[in-house]
Amino acid sequence: MNLIRIRKVTSGIILILFILLFLGSEKLSVSLSTFLLPFQGIPALVHTVTQPEALCIIGLIFIVVTTLFFGRVYCSFLCPLGALQDLLIAGSQRFRRQPGHSFSRPLNGLRYSLLALTVATALIGSLSLVSLLDPTSLAGRIFTHFLQPLFVWTYNLGILVLKPLNIYLYPKQTAFVSLSVLAVTVVFFLLMMYLAATRGRLYCNTFCPVGTFLGLLSHISVFHFTLNQKSCSECVRCENMCKAGCIDPQTASIDMSRCVGCFNCLNACSKATIIYQRRRSQTHAHTWSPARRGFILGSVAAAAGFIAFNTNIRTFLVTHAAQANPPVTPPGSLNTKHFTQACTACSLCVSVCPTQVLTPTFMDFGVSGLLQPKMNYEKSFCEYKCNICGKVCPTGAILALSLDEKKLTQIGKAELLKDVCVVFVDHRNCGACGEVCPTHAIRFVDKENILYPEIDKQYCIGCGACQLACPTAPRSIIVHAKPIHKKAEKYFSPETAVEQKTPPDQAFPF
Amino acid sequence: MIDTQKFNRREVISKGLSFGLIAGGAAILGKPDFLLAKEEPARIPDLVAVKNGEPDAMFKKAIELMGGMNQFVKKGQTVVVKPNIGFPRVPEVGATTNPLLIKTLIESCYTAGAKRVYVFDNVVTATPGNARNCYKLSGIEEASKAARGIVVPIDDFSYREVKIPGGKKLKTADVHSLILDCDVFINAPVLKHHSSAHLSIAMKNLMGIVKNRMEYHLTGLDQCIADFCMYRKPDLNVVDAYRVLMSHGPSGPSNPRSANVQMKKTLLLSKDIVAIDAAAARIFGKEPEEIDYIRIAHAQKTGNMNLKELKIVTYAM
Repeated sequence: MNLIRIRKVTSGIILILFILLFLGSEKLSVSLSTFLLPFQGIPALVHTVTQPEALCIIGLIFIVVTTLFFGRVYCSFLCPLGALQDLLIAGSQRFRRQPGHSFSRPLNGLRYSLLALTVATALIGSLSLVSLLDPTSLAGRIFTHFLQPLFVWTYNLGILVLKPLNIYLYPKQTAFVSLSVLAVTVVFFLLMMYLAATRGRLYCNTFCPVGTFLGLLSHISVFHFTLNQKSCSECVRCENMCKAGCIDPQTASIDMSRCVGCFNCLNACSKATIIYQRRRSQTHAHTWSPARRGFILGSVAAAAGFIAFNTNIRTFLVTHAAQANPPVTPPGSLNTKHFTQACTACSLCVSVCPTQVLTPTFMDFGVSGLLQPKMNYEKSFCEYKCNICGKVCPTGAILALSLDEKKLTQIGKAELLKDVCVVFVDHRNCGACGEVCPTHAIRFVDKENILYPEIDKQYCIGCGACQLACPTAPRSIIVHAKPIHKKAEKYFSPETAVEQKTPPDQAFPF
Repeated sequence: MIDTQKFNRREVISKGLSFGLIAGGAAILGKPDFLLAKEEPARIPDLVAVKNGEPDAMFKKAIELMGGMNQFVKKGQTVVVKPNIGFPRVPEVGATTNPLLIKTLIESCYTAGAKRVYVFDNVVTATPGNARNCYKLSGIEEASKAARGIVVPIDDFSYREVKIPGGKKLKTADVHSLILDCDVFINAPVLKHHSSAHLSIAMKNLMGIVKNRMEYHLTGLDQCIADFCMYRKPDLNVVDAYRVLMSHGPSGPSNPRSANVQMKKTLLLSKDIVAIDAAAARIFGKEPEEIDYIRIAHAQKTGNMNLKELKIVTYAM
């Protein structure tokens, strides 16, 4: 059947594009993100409620409409985690003594309560569960936390090999991922691998909120799979082929809420007993009823979620307590609240950030903001002429800023600790901070030929270059977060360049 | 009085004979310049200054006045050119060495018979991404490659620790192995304003071959800059004062239109790193004694900042 080949090619392309999105060059990532990410369920949904954009709404409608027509084909065609699992499943089948899948009972209680819990926590302003379970974000973390280091290490090893041949290339850097964050990704990756190897697409049918929600829609999809009991010889070939474990030949039923639309069963059946066709009104009446409650509940919850995701209502509901020392959030994230309520921790910004200043945190934003990234000024700084994180962010947590806007966006403010600074303590020149300040916020006052740094806070955008450059331990210049981003004043030099009209003189000053 | 200038016959004969022998021997051995060198030991000027030309033309003139590139680069040698590429700025800002000068310099090294010419700088804020920005924006990567120069980006593995003999504050430094292993080291800084060292010229530029530059800032910038020159002085210093950043150095503004740049169109050449810094300071409009590290290096006998005592050749185009 051609449909299977189309699926394999499509999901293969999606997987490759996603890997390129996360590991490719900056330009490639930006161009891929513009058309790839609006067609991802959770990112498109969150982006639509935080900052509606035409393409995201189109993507969302596309996903819902295709599901209403064809069932959960999204899970087999467009989902990067789905593609990754299909690879794992195909791989593990080769090593199994008895290949093949078998029917399993749906874990309805777990999946619907997880969906309800995910929606409920999102409603009260925490995306932690969404971040943990969303397949796009999880795939992103797997790419950034595992695949990127592997790629970077191999690349840098290649550079070392080429060096004796006098071929020099710029080395690459991996993102800074703390052990606790890595542990979360490892646990989820292992869980997914285990489930894929032993139970097929069980992750998608139990843990994935997108899968569960689309499963509810699939109950009423126009096209569906049916098993004709009369012609069925109960050879269980279709059951063996079904990664989702949703075909039960005994009762001749196919659970459309768990079918991921891979079309493998159509190929498996030699008698064309399984048919993919338009739903006839009377056929689904009784097969559908057990999950009807779940569907109604789910759609009500989803609708409520859609409305309540609206920022105003959420602001009203939000319990996000302002921390004493909140982390700095990237330029374009407007304020801590906007950022934490829109970021699903996919780590795309972490992986594309050219200076690797964006670092995923474990709980720096509190329990309600698990894994969300911060500006890590102990490791790096924010490049002045860069606005790439806003360009790639799939959820609108970091809004795209023009370079001119970015250069004046205050995400933090530098504080000079004069009781630690070597110039004030020892009275000799240092100036490491001023050297790297891109906005002229650090000015030097000459007292007896010693240059003392002073900060003009109105120009400081909180990029952290000074903090990274400061040689003292502990640092004597520290950037504090601005929980609500502001606009910095533009610096105008008192000495402006003068066009020299005088003819060149011939004299030398010595 | 007149008597003392008279030679007696024996002396004249013996001196004439020995001179003839040496001259003949030298001529047979094919080294007639050995004689000339004996008669005029300071033929190479201490400092050459050229002005009012384009960077390439000025360099060609200056190196000619210096006695040619063959004085510094011999056949088959490896050369490292160390420009100032410290900041991600376009050449118009004047924060980085002029790319055309670097290109001409590399070409000149190859013409003199160099086997390989490397171009290297350990940029300020040494992340790979920032290094790439600096190399590209400054135009130095492109210019160097056009002249077959080997552009070497930073990495963490290529530094070796060396002891600084006589260093007061700086006792050891982690120096890039390219500089440690090369035959000829050419320092090619740009003259510019510096917020915490007043000026950045040739001595300050050497902070870009060490890894532990933050130790300089921490323990005393001026003393450490002067101390490092006790380890290795470049074989040749070329100071680019074509576009001079007069304020907001060392980085200058990112927008070249707001850069306070003066077109000094000058180029300096010297083996003496202190002398060239002193001369460059004058071009900037400061006295060498005002710059602490120049004063310290002079006192530590690294070079001579008293320009009056030097043989300076100037040329205005």
